[in-house]
Amino acid sequence: MKLFVLALTALLPCLAASADADPGKSLGSPSAPIQIEVFSDFECPACKGLHEQILPQVMKDYVIPGKVYLVSREYPLQMHAYSREAACYATAAARFGKYELVADTLFKTQVAWAASGKVWDTVASVLTPADAKKVQLLAKDPAIVSEVQHEVDLGKAAAINQTPTMIVTRGANRFPVAGAVNYNLLRSLLDGLLR
Amino acid sequence: MVSSDRIFRVVLLVLRVALGAVFVYAAWTKLRQPWQLFAMSIDAYRVLPYWAVVAVARTLPWAELAIGLALMAGRWLPVASTAASLLMMMFLAMMMRAYAAGMNINCGCFGLGDIISARTLARDGGLLVGYLFLTWTSLSARRKAA
Repeated sequence: MKLFVLALTALLPCLAASADADPGKSLGSPSAPIQIEVFSDFECPACKGLHEQILPQVMKDYVIPGKVYLVSREYPLQMHAYSREAACYATAAARFGKYELVADTLFKTQVAWAASGKVWDTVASVLTPADAKKVQLLAKDPAIVSEVQHEVDLGKAAAINQTPTMIVTRGANRFPVAGAVNYNLLRSLLDGLLR
Repeated sequence: MVSSDRIFRVVLLVLRVALGAVFVYAAWTKLRQPWQLFAMSIDAYRVLPYWAVVAVARTLPWAELAIGLALMAGRWLPVASTAASLLMMMFLAMMMRAYAAGMNINCGCFGLGDIISARTLARDGGLLVGYLFLTWTSLSARRKAA
């Protein structure tokens, strides 16, 4: 019993730091010293740049070695007609472990579906028929819709006014990093925080 | 009855201390964060090479602090007010360029969360007018003393 209480006490700070994080949309160890929450809009070109050029480097240099816990948050902007729909599909796909696959596809073909509005066709193209059926149904579930809204509310509470914005948290310190970031500067920031 | 000259000197004092405090505050918002965050704001303008972004990010806040304190203390006024005016002219030019190009980026003036807009341009334009006025009065005073 004592051991259980001790283990729970040790785990509590980790749980608190990522209490809101959807495990299906998070990468790395929750006990990593730094947490990065990425507030992103699937229809935003700068978010596409971050996802395709910067985050893979963050994964290799920091997430895989256990230094950063990366949490994806949906922040669809009102000016983008289809981004909330895309966010709901991606969040639903996360329930089946397909978040990264759907996110990669949405960003890769962003220009096409943003123009045509064919978000579902894009998402379905990378899922098995069985998974596609489940994701399509779940995306309309109130639980998914409210999860996306909850993440939007988190972003608004953090005064996020552009996408992408990364909130870098180390202990009690939170640093917003907005826009298309230079990886050398991000790396310098993270290395400085890890010292 | 208070002379207009006295009123002018009081107004000038208040203006000098207030504008000095603006620079001190601007320096504080940058110095209290890791320097890399201010560097990211500078880099977002896409004007300077990386090495210059780092150099400016690490030195500009200290320059702002020195200028602000000098203005507030009323020391080295011609140099401090001229430096403040030149810096503000440079900041405003960069902001206007970014705004005209439709760049949705942080001003970088007072830390984060300050997207360049008509409001921020008007604000910084107003500050520039204030610094230019201080420069003119301090240089005029120096000419009279000479």
